[in-house]
Amino acid sequence: MKNGAINRCREISENPYRYTKDWKEKTCKKVISCFGMHIPEEIVHASGITPVIAWRSDEPVTIGHSHVATFNCGLTRSFIDDLVKDKLSFLDGIAINRICLQTQGMPFILEQNPKAPYLEYLSLPALYQSASIKDYLIEEMKRFKEGLEKFSGKKITTDDLNNSIIIYNKNRKLLKKIYEIRRKNPKILKAKEMMYIVHSSMVMDKEDNNELLNHVIDELENRDLVTTSENPIRVITYGGLCQTVNTRILDLIEELNMVIVDDDIFVGSKYFAKPVKITDNPIEALGDEYLKNTPPCPTKGDYKTDWTDFLIDMARKNNAKGIISLLIKYCPPHMCYYPDIKNKLSEKGIPELLIEVEHEVISFEQIKTRLQTFAEIIQGV
Amino acid sequence: MQKHKTNRLETTKLIGPMVDKHWSDLRSAKDRGEMVAWCSGPMFIFPYAMGMKCHFMAGYAAYAGGRGAADRLLEIAEDEGDLLDTCSYHKAHMGMAAAIKKGLPLREDVKLPMPDLLITGRLCPEMSHYAEGLYRRMNINVVGIDTPPPANESNVMILEKFCEAQVREVLIPTVEKICGKPFDYDRLREILAILKETCLLRNECWEYFKKIPSPWTLWDYGVSIAPVFYMMGSPDAVPYYTKLRDELAERAEKKIGAIEPEDFRVYWDGWLPWGFLGQFSRKMTSLGIVPLVGRYPWEFFPHPETIDLNEDPVATFAKQVYSNGGLAKQNLPNMSLPTLHKWIDEYHLDGVIMFSSKSCRMWNLGHPDFIKAIERKNGIPGVIIEGDMVDSRMNSFAQIDTRLEAFAEMMAARKKSVVDL
Ligand code: SF4
Ligand code: SF4
Repeated sequence: MKNGAINRCREISENPYRYTKDWKEKTCKKVISCFGMHIPEEIVHASGITPVIAWRSDEPVTIGHSHVATFNCGLTRSFIDDLVKDKLSFLDGIAINRICLQTQGMPFILEQNPKAPYLEYLSLPALYQSASIKDYLIEEMKRFKEGLEKFSGKKITTDDLNNSIIIYNKNRKLLKKIYEIRRKNPKILKAKEMMYIVHSSMVMDKEDNNELLNHVIDELENRDLVTTSENPIRVITYGGLCQTVNTRILDLIEELNMVIVDDDIFVGSKYFAKPVKITDNPIEALGDEYLKNTPPCPTKGDYKTDWTDFLIDMARKNNAKGIISLLIKYCPPHMCYYPDIKNKLSEKGIPELLIEVEHEVISFEQIKTRLQTFAEIIQGV
Repeated sequence: MQKHKTNRLETTKLIGPMVDKHWSDLRSAKDRGEMVAWCSGPMFIFPYAMGMKCHFMAGYAAYAGGRGAADRLLEIAEDEGDLLDTCSYHKAHMGMAAAIKKGLPLREDVKLPMPDLLITGRLCPEMSHYAEGLYRRMNINVVGIDTPPPANESNVMILEKFCEAQVREVLIPTVEKICGKPFDYDRLREILAILKETCLLRNECWEYFKKIPSPWTLWDYGVSIAPVFYMMGSPDAVPYYTKLRDELAERAEKKIGAIEPEDFRVYWDGWLPWGFLGQFSRKMTSLGIVPLVGRYPWEFFPHPETIDLNEDPVATFAKQVYSNGGLAKQNLPNMSLPTLHKWIDEYHLDGVIMFSSKSCRMWNLGHPDFIKAIERKNGIPGVIIEGDMVDSRMNSFAQIDTRLEAFAEMMAARKKSVVDL
């Protein structure tokens, strides 16, 4: 495994169907897909069911378009496409968190088509100023827990939850360590490899993944540089909500002599940013993490925490010279926020480039040209 | 092809001046020293009770769209960095904020005054993004009330409690602070009383959609929607709907249809195409297609009889959003389809039109599955029309016309096959 750990992450990320099916066969455990960010996976895990983060396939959407219009984000369309093509029949359940209108509308489609035995629609609240937000959040999480108990036939105890939290925290710590390694030596990992690594955590059983991540760390400690360009331009990426970014785009960034030193994307540092406290009331501890407003998330209705300031800070800490907006095409939370980010960065003189990430990328050439211009601007050519 | 005739209602001619007055009062509010709130979602009833003037997000966007002013607002927003695919209602407001801030030229009749408060009722997450964007651009205090649609009947009560708690905890104290006086519960009750009476009359009017021919269309109701929503509590609301009800009764008695001959009676899903009602109406009329009911226009207090004027008014209002209402429940997967199946029989419908707004994903995700389910159970056809409520670039009328023509043919073929049987 020592030399193949990163490769194993790639395999799993590229074919999460196979890993998940094999896992089920091997362990006879149930699997629930968590669609939309911020679902407290630990509660699912504590019920003895394996949570996996919903993924988008690499295939263009076909039959799915007779259920969902083209002007919805890639994850939504691809997931529905997979669902109606029967590629997700191994799932025992689907949990959705209402973070946008796509996730708000999805339940109707799930109800109308062959159903997974377990369906749950969560509405974790916006981070507005009100004590009742927390009460409601806890109630919603308890409802989630009770539904899972009913489905799994297993009472979820405080110890169960804390055990799961410990496993998840360990995973967060390992991912964080890998990010630190990259921060110190950005040329040691390709951007797409970083994404494979985080994605593997989203798809795999966490204990299985913890083991794999330990191997990844060993591998990195003995690894030669994989990005060899001299004096690459240091950039950060942000955005990429809920889903993987097309790896060709990440390659293009590097081919144009840029290196991603840090990121604020979902299949990236956003996923493992918040360790959960071990307390006598783990549901509340999970709630407290949800209520934290950093890293900022445009789906949470938090108008006070400024995402741009967070990004500027990240760029400064990493000595990055530019910021690339990876905006998932048709993703309203990011689309609505974007002008403020663009304008503030421009006011501060920080170069920024918008790449609208499509599920079916139409023109890599166009993206390449824009990235090239961006690199030239940063270098003052 | 047979010629079709439109019989315009006399009463709806009165609504234009009422709506204009509402917006012009809002524009001049600051001159009179009145406080102004901009709101998304249904929470403006609370600042109304304090005498504040309120702008309502969707109502305003529809108003600006109906006056042909939306394109200019969208253009300003996009100059400021907004993207083509972003909700056009959101963008219209970002355009407005930029126009106010930078003093950009804009038609007087669509201008809005700077708000003293932003309120968002998060029925749709974009309603929240609207307030967030405005906060970042105008730095004005926001009160956010999260009002998620329920997943199923089991969490309706949890959400109702949550909604009510937020109003009491944050919204009421904030408007008290801004207005410098205690909250006026009596005025809230008065507004609810007027709303109840208006909506009861509206429900009587709605019944006339069942008549064959129908004496009015969904477009007529669309233009009459303000008194049951953002003009709630207005003294003009009850007289307007009384007159409307009487005119409909008279027409029904005389069997006068809004469109004659009435060839196809259809359901309309999603937003009304506010900026293009004339274009849609002309095309549909020419084909004898009469839009009748729709779940969006029905969400405005469908059960006014449950407004209990002796109950605590905040609790009563929260119930209108949840357990007794339609505002948050229209998205319930297990609620909207059964309602539609029932309506198809009750209103003698021949087809369903699903208006899929490209920039608003509120209704469109389930459209193809809706149509399949209706075809299966009710045996009538459906069509999806893609477009936008106010963004003219997103409506291709050549394509829309062709779709409507094909749809009329499908309905005609089905009617014929039913007769032939
Ligand atoms: S990527 Fe955006 S649009 Fe898609 S599910 Fe996530 S938040 Fe919603
Ligand atoms: S997305 Fe649709 S429902 Fe939401 S604010 Fe925009 S127009 Fe309204």
